Amino acid sequence: MDIYQIVLANKEVLKVIYALAISLICMFIVVKTDKIYKLSLHKGLRYFRNAFFFYGLAFLARYLFGVLFPTINYTIIFPIFEYLIILAGFFLLYSLTWKKFNPSEKEHSSLINSNVIIFHIMAIILALLDTLLGTFNFMFYSQIIIFFYASLIAYSNYSKNSKRKFLKFYFVAMLLELSLWVLNLLTATLFSFNRLLLLNIGILNIIFFLLILYGIMKITKK
Amino acid sequence: MTAKKRERLEVIKDIIYTINKNHEIKPTRLLYASNLSPQMFKEYINELIEKKFIQLEVDEKEKKFFSLTKKGRDFLQEYKMIESFIENFGL
Repeated sequence: MDIYQIVLANKEVLKVIYALAISLICMFIVVKTDKIYKLSLHKGLRYFRNAFFFYGLAFLARYLFGVLFPTINYTIIFPIFEYLIILAGFFLLYSLTWKKFNPSEKEHSSLINSNVIIFHIMAIILALLDTLLGTFNFMFYSQIIIFFYASLIAYSNYSKNSKRKFLKFYFVAMLLELSLWVLNLLTATLFSFNRLLLLNIGILNIIFFLLILYGIMKITKK
Repeated sequence: MTAKKRERLEVIKDIIYTINKNHEIKPTRLLYASNLSPQMFKEYINELIEKKFIQLEVDEKEKKFFSLTKKGRDFLQEYKMIESFIENFGL
């Protein structure tokens, strides 16, 4: 029995471990950046933290609630998962671009304000469209566009300031996430959700979150 | 050559650094040292007082001066790390 067969045989348990691992990494990212956010009150950092807060919630909602509370209908869990994932992607992109939108200094909430309300509306619309049409494609396409732009911005930041070593890792992380969403789309449309491909997507996803966590640990340990 | 516009965080660091260097400083001297317009200076100072980074005190001769709070001193110590974080993640 090879490793893939073992994994597939225990997939329900592994889904919970996977969800817990990503949620814990996200929680750690939010906690680890709390002090520097409170000291700096930097808006980019605030939106960056929001992104990982929503990623953490999304994985808790999808896998933990889905497995621990199987009576909860998946037609409820999936739209919530999609809404949170799409929202997290928007916040991550906005953390890189917020300066261009002249955010008002008087905005007290970073979760809902005049600039980010559009993210909530778009996330709700996309999640509802996917639910109504019974696909995941709107989520996949939105994430591909988001991470395509995020990769371009991350590359531009890296080329402008190559002395900051993690900028290269961040660019790689954005590319990794872009590849992951393209792979997700291909798996759904061409490979009928092939389990081995989904397993590899899961591994890539964990690598993405670990890469971000690595950068945070490396910078904040100084 | 025009000087690069300072980022908000850099302005805050400069104000807090100046107060720390002088231990305590009169508002007019801090305004000159900050290199900001009076309007901008007022906005930054109000924010820093509101967020408890600095405090405005009055001595026995009724003279006003600014001093740092513990949060302000913490900010100065952590500034390099904050700057490094923001630049490394391109935020």
